[in-house]
Amino acid sequence: MSDTLHIQHEVASHGHSGEPHVHHHKETFISKYIFSMDHKMIAKQFLVTGIIWAIIGGLFSVLFRLQLGFPDQNFPILETIFGRWAEGGKIKPEFYYALTTMHGTVLIFFVLTAGLSGTFANLLIPLQVGARDMASPFMNMLSYWFFFAGSIVMISSLFTQTGPAAGGWTVYPPLSALSQASQGSKSGMDLWIIAMTLFVASQLLGGLNYISTILNMRTKGMSMTRLPLTIWALLFTAILGVLSFPVLLSGLVLLMFDRHLGTSFYLSDIYIAGQALPNEGGSAILYQHLFWFLGHPEVYIIILPTMGLVSEILAINARKPIFGYMAMIASLMAICVLAFLVWAHHMFVTGLNPFLGSVFVLLTLLIAIPSAIKVFNWITTIWRGNLRFTPAMLFAIGFVSIFISGGLTGIWLGNSTIDIHLHDTMFVIAHFHIVMGVSAFFGMFAGIYHWYPKMFGRYMNNTLGYIHFWVTLASAYLIFWPMHYQGLAGMPRRYLDKSSWASFSQFHGLDAMISVVTIIAFSVQLMFVFNYFYSMYKGRRVRSQNPWDATTLEWTTPIHPGHGNWEGEIPEVHRWAYDYGKDGRDFIPQTEPIGENESEH
Amino acid sequence: MEQTVTHKTKWWSGGKSPFNIEYGKIMMWYFLLSDSFTFGAFLISLGTVRFGLNYWPEPSIVFSTFPFAGHANLPLAFVSVMTFVLIISSVTMVLAVHAGHNRDKKGVEKYLILTIIGGLIFLSCQAWEWHHLLTEGHPALVGDHIELLTQGNGSNPWGELVLPQEVTPALLKSSPETLAKLVQDEHASHLSFAQLLQTPKEQLVQMLSNSEMVVRKAGPTAFGGFFYGITGFHGFHVTVGVILLIIMLIQTKMGVFERRGHYLMIEKIGLYWHFVDLVWVFVFLAFYLI
Amino acid sequence: MSHDTHTATSSEITFVHHMDDASFNRRILKTTIILSVFTLIELALGFTIYVLHKGVPSQGFLLLIKGVICILTLGKAFYIVSIFMHLGDEIRNFTMTILIPLMLFIWFIIAFLADGSSYKNLRNKYDPYFKESTTPAGHPDIPSDAHRYNTIQKGERQ
Repeated sequence: MSDTLHIQHEVASHGHSGEPHVHHHKETFISKYIFSMDHKMIAKQFLVTGIIWAIIGGLFSVLFRLQLGFPDQNFPILETIFGRWAEGGKIKPEFYYALTTMHGTVLIFFVLTAGLSGTFANLLIPLQVGARDMASPFMNMLSYWFFFAGSIVMISSLFTQTGPAAGGWTVYPPLSALSQASQGSKSGMDLWIIAMTLFVASQLLGGLNYISTILNMRTKGMSMTRLPLTIWALLFTAILGVLSFPVLLSGLVLLMFDRHLGTSFYLSDIYIAGQALPNEGGSAILYQHLFWFLGHPEVYIIILPTMGLVSEILAINARKPIFGYMAMIASLMAICVLAFLVWAHHMFVTGLNPFLGSVFVLLTLLIAIPSAIKVFNWITTIWRGNLRFTPAMLFAIGFVSIFISGGLTGIWLGNSTIDIHLHDTMFVIAHFHIVMGVSAFFGMFAGIYHWYPKMFGRYMNNTLGYIHFWVTLASAYLIFWPMHYQGLAGMPRRYLDKSSWASFSQFHGLDAMISVVTIIAFSVQLMFVFNYFYSMYKGRRVRSQNPWDATTLEWTTPIHPGHGNWEGEIPEVHRWAYDYGKDGRDFIPQTEPIGENESEH
Repeated sequence: MEQTVTHKTKWWSGGKSPFNIEYGKIMMWYFLLSDSFTFGAFLISLGTVRFGLNYWPEPSIVFSTFPFAGHANLPLAFVSVMTFVLIISSVTMVLAVHAGHNRDKKGVEKYLILTIIGGLIFLSCQAWEWHHLLTEGHPALVGDHIELLTQGNGSNPWGELVLPQEVTPALLKSSPETLAKLVQDEHASHLSFAQLLQTPKEQLVQMLSNSEMVVRKAGPTAFGGFFYGITGFHGFHVTVGVILLIIMLIQTKMGVFERRGHYLMIEKIGLYWHFVDLVWVFVFLAFYLI
Repeated sequence: MSHDTHTATSSEITFVHHMDDASFNRRILKTTIILSVFTLIELALGFTIYVLHKGVPSQGFLLLIKGVICILTLGKAFYIVSIFMHLGDEIRNFTMTILIPLMLFIWFIIAFLADGSSYKNLRNKYDPYFKESTTPAGHPDIPSDAHRYNTIQKGERQ
């Protein structure tokens, strides 16, 4: 057997893209806006759906925060919205669980996974690697529509007689496996599982596309080490998704069997109302293992894309090359690998073998190293830079601040000995909201402000952007910082009314303050949504092809790129993406050939 | 335009496929990688539950029957037939892909048909095995009496062996129907079922204690769930594979690939089919061998 | 097989496996035989386990046999993936992108099974009547009102 390589020169980066893509045929409304196969339109679809979900999920948190902050008051508006779930203006305990469950599920999966990586992977991958579209535009479209179908099913669960799933966003059995166990374990739980199954399919279709596009369709000269960090981050995100979502799928399939087919995967030795169930031999801990085998990578699926976006935005707005490009890639890779190895640190109090637990502690604490490398590199990137404080830049800097604050408490929780005290307290809530929720939102906002001109050919309003940033930053710390103290004092999460504990009575005022700030923070986000839609039609027009003076390929396309992105040939790449402030020049685009006397970076 | 270079190619510099594979095949490979985590999670769950229990049924006791062989004790025989069917269908699939490389339309058709037949035989075998396990009752000690349990997803007759001295008291507490059925199954009497029902309990128990009846305790019910869940999920994959192969066969017959100039689609479906075979290797290991 | 059929497929694909029919058939035949032989050995070992179970087998020996079966299975998987699925013929980088993620299974399996086994041990050792006490029997600092607790401890603690 002999293998021969036939190298073709002048190979286009894409099978069907030998000639420039100019669409002469008339596109209908449906093919352009609904069942579009253009990656840029799909990105916008993901973003708008994500925004709608964020409003729903955020509103839930505001409403249950009202009750948490003022447990002895009635809010007629709650009855107006929720009807019999909040009779007399007080949220019922069952429905409080449903609200927190949906808040978690919606924000983690539907907003910060689909809305975030769905948006930026679709928008940026083809534009920044120099491809006409994704490897399979059709699968890309399917990815959105599976997500959409999942969304519809999830929303429909809000309107069932017994309410949506209410076992927490992790839906642990046996509570979630036995419909007689609670209201929220009835049909709402089935719809939750179906919605998540559709969601996994969507992630898989998307992820396979992202990976093949990044690996296979880079333009000429775009070696892997010339890719912008956004693309590296999105690559690792997609890898995480493709390898971990199937495990969640397995876990959910088994859960569905336990619910409806009488199997005993997760059930054993259970008594309900004095009656012994026949199930025997299963293990509820098994579900937790399967769930967190996805669940932990999931938090990196959320945070990695924003790390990429932030790296890019910091370098562009500091007019300096990113510090430690290779170290950034290496730490992304290290985080990606470690993300798969540490899942059981969510399970220290399940009766996990202490020796096994100590291995998980070690692996967990190792994550601090790549995370610290990244933080260090972001700070050194903007160190003595020529900073331009655009809203995107502010959000990127805010991201670094918040990520540090939240990351440090991760070291606390990663130690099993401390975690036993802090598990299931408000400390955990504070930790993951800061490090994963708020930072990911900051990265996402940064990305939206920065790439808005590419999406719509207009800028977002800056003044509203600045207000948005400062209020959000202050609220984020005001809301979540005090929760650490509550948690250290032992205040449990998932409790609707803590007034029967004298030891927590000192926190009444604090809880009320948090709730008020939550309302302010939420209204500022609505202002951002207004800014987003208003600027689509009335925003300042983008006049130059490269409004941020950036080096990457997306700014070599026309202001309003058509399907196919570049009108002529796809540009060839000659250098890495971070030639800022080099040889006396402000920036050198990636498409410019290396000059004769150019210094090496 | 073309020149032959045998080394020093910069695969990663963009502008060409760094793996020199068509993107659809890359996606199929990564999909299979992803799917291996689905199956892996199932099988590892099985292992976790099994490691978490003091007793787990021995596969050679559960899977010991063969179609049309009656009560003959033939451990592992039937599943080895299934395994070989799947291996052979994988071989015919390789041959179909190879015929595709040579653009030999007739060869592709022939081997696709053989592969489809292999898949259908496998599915029929699985159907028989499921049906057999789900319907055949085995005596099992439940509480203080003996019942006929099937291998369902909520029952398991393959627990630990019951000591002979415990069997008789348990039999005396069992229902006459169960006893009559047991006597009939064990061929311990020439009487008909209706006659057996009229026979006094003590006499039936006497007949049974003379036979070689083996009584086990009820086993862990998790076993059935995993068995039907995992083999079912595998069978679902085989079914999808057979459907895809039939579509490929129709497209080949219509000359779709001939017009397209290549049979890459057959190769991609082939990858899927081999993956199904690969998964079976591990299912075979986890359920039938260890 | 001629390679211009292959280059016609897509401009991206330039990699051609040259293999004449005879050597291809030899290779497939060889792999089929290897797979069959491995399966037969596995079945023989499985049957050995069955026979051993009629007596009281030593756990170590059973474990050894099961280990051999697992290795044979991995061998079969290797042949299926590398020959039937042609992964062995792909570019090394590509092979690695498939194989390296599969290494996650190592920790996946170890951690899950270890916790499963720990779960079993905990359940076996579980004592539903155990009561935690700050003054266990034999503790030197017995408080003056210890007699009030001692009676409970004797009855409850095993």
